Amino acid sequence: MADSKDFTAGVDSNAKKSPRRIVFITRRTSAQVKADTEDQMQTFPEVLFRGVVAIQVLAVVLVWISLLFNAPLEGLADPSHTPNPAKAPWYFLGLQEMLHYFPPVVAGVLAPGLVVMALIVIPYFNINIEAEGLFLKDRARRLSAFYTVAIALSIFLLAFKVYAALVPTLIMVGMMLLAAHSSPQSPSAFRRYLAARPLSYWVMTWFLFELAVLTAIGTFFRGPGWAWVWPWQGS
Amino acid sequence: MADKTKSSTPNEVVNRRQFFAKLGLGSLSIAAAGTAAFAYQYLSPNVLFEPSPVVNVGKPDRYPLDSVTLDVTTGIYIIHSQEGYFSLSAVCTHLGCLTAWKPEENRIACPCHGSKFERTGVKTEGPAPKPLPWKFISINEDGDLLVDRSIDIPPLVPKSYVRV
Amino acid sequence: MAKTGMTKTAGQYFDDLRGTRVWRSIFRSGAGSSTLHRALTIQQNVFLHLFSTKVRTRMLSFSATWYLGTLTLGTFFILVATGIPLMFYYHPSVPQAYADTKDLQFVVSSGLFLRNLHRWSAHAMVFLVFAHMFKVFYRGAYRAPREFNWVIGVILLLITLLLSYTGYLLPWDQLAYWAITVGSNIASAVPIMGNKIRFLLLGGNTVNANALLRFYVLHCMILPLTAMFFIAIHFWRIRKDGGLYSHASEPATLRAKAASGTADPKADAKEAQ
Repeated sequence: MADSKDFTAGVDSNAKKSPRRIVFITRRTSAQVKADTEDQMQTFPEVLFRGVVAIQVLAVVLVWISLLFNAPLEGLADPSHTPNPAKAPWYFLGLQEMLHYFPPVVAGVLAPGLVVMALIVIPYFNINIEAEGLFLKDRARRLSAFYTVAIALSIFLLAFKVYAALVPTLIMVGMMLLAAHSSPQSPSAFRRYLAARPLSYWVMTWFLFELAVLTAIGTFFRGPGWAWVWPWQGS
Repeated sequence: MADKTKSSTPNEVVNRRQFFAKLGLGSLSIAAAGTAAFAYQYLSPNVLFEPSPVVNVGKPDRYPLDSVTLDVTTGIYIIHSQEGYFSLSAVCTHLGCLTAWKPEENRIACPCHGSKFERTGVKTEGPAPKPLPWKFISINEDGDLLVDRSIDIPPLVPKSYVRV
Repeated sequence: MAKTGMTKTAGQYFDDLRGTRVWRSIFRSGAGSSTLHRALTIQQNVFLHLFSTKVRTRMLSFSATWYLGTLTLGTFFILVATGIPLMFYYHPSVPQAYADTKDLQFVVSSGLFLRNLHRWSAHAMVFLVFAHMFKVFYRGAYRAPREFNWVIGVILLLITLLLSYTGYLLPWDQLAYWAITVGSNIASAVPIMGNKIRFLLLGGNTVNANALLRFYVLHCMILPLTAMFFIAIHFWRIRKDGGLYSHASEPATLRAKAASGTADPKADAKEAQ
């Protein structure tokens, strides 16, 4: 192969022509073929039909709900008469509950803004990529950092009397302490599971817990004047 | 792997795949037909926010014999002739412009393309394809003339006039 | 085309149709259910070629994603399909909007059903988009190379919330009016620019006819187009990042498996995620 001179080789950077690529297979080498051995399925029909069926089930459920329950409609908008309580749509009620404790700058701008920023940067932090159990590495330093944050946050919430947010926080702190005192060799499966959870898991679960609790309180436990009511008290 | 997807002879029972395919397509067609029917019903308004086609043009003695009166806002002529009172649409049958009564020519004239009609609605010149239609005219209990612009009546026959 | 006997089934008529010149000029791939035909169905279609023609079997598992992304997209389709007909009877002016909402409920054929479906699908979409986000997070599908798709997802979350918020005002009832008043007052809490933001959002100093019109334009035109734009990017990124996340399919796992030479029990256990 190396002796034959019936071809020429060169480089052409003519942008007006479609380039042709030429592979030279020299002696004593062969192309390396990396075969993907994973099972595959055709998009049509496998993916499309599964998607269509899922959406059909969703549509059937929603149609049933729409036939049985009516969307709410109150009286004509009246700028001179504020209903009591004036509640935001349910997905904002967590925020509105926070507005009860903190000024609008904090609860309405700072907190949501920080939450969105935190969500966006999650994938760019290494500690989230490694996904190791939080207290399995560098234990002493991490434990002291954890204690500092937990105590500071609890005192902050207590000072502002945000019991609604304090209770979930304390529950999460309890779970994290349990995780800190567990290991992959712990007797119960649950403790082994907790020990393996990374930091991102704890922060996100705390956030989810808080979101659920605050939204539930805003929906069911707040009445006129944003006063505390029990759900069975009507309104 | 033998391809069992195509049907066997017409005498055999349909296989399971065909059954479900027929069932699926059948229910889909029924659903589509139902959706189309409901969509058509939805898009045809049940309530219209438009002025009523029935116009009250007042007492008959407002219109002296042999007069042709145009009511611009409702687009009709009220004409009092020997045979009685009748009403024409004032909308030119060519392209929908509002016509005007020209007493000096004894014609109803359209300003847009020059169509002219006699006071009976018959076209005498111009591109209009049809005569001006006669509209249903009646008298109510108070003695007022009522014109229903949504009902066309045959021209020049005795029952198309209102006699007082 | 094998014809057994004198009669043809509907399927055979359909296959004949698919062999005609007119059909082939539109769809090109013709009749048949071979692998090639099925691949062409995806690849030749301008909407469907957002997908790849084949996917890894692991990506189809229900327990991995609970199909939450698909369901969110489904609610979006339902919302567009119900929202556009609703626009035929709705005038975004004050107080006509309220009268129109009442008309839709009592006078228009199927109006009540459409409005209900639109409302409940909207709530469902907000719930599903949060659920989808949490599910993606907890199975670690945000990690490299999928970081940017996660960010696109957060943007879509914000667009969904904005769509729901702008739609909330449109019935112009007490619920709508005061919810938006509270919300726009929160917007004015932004330091320095807060009042300006509120003024631009409402088109004035109070929630009035200008606000309704702006929210209507945002809700029916700007935000849906933005959403569709980002949804397309979101789907494209899934494909370009190597398909839906499955731990056992990740290049790192495959390399480790190849290097160790034997099956890794930990990886197989994680595969169940």
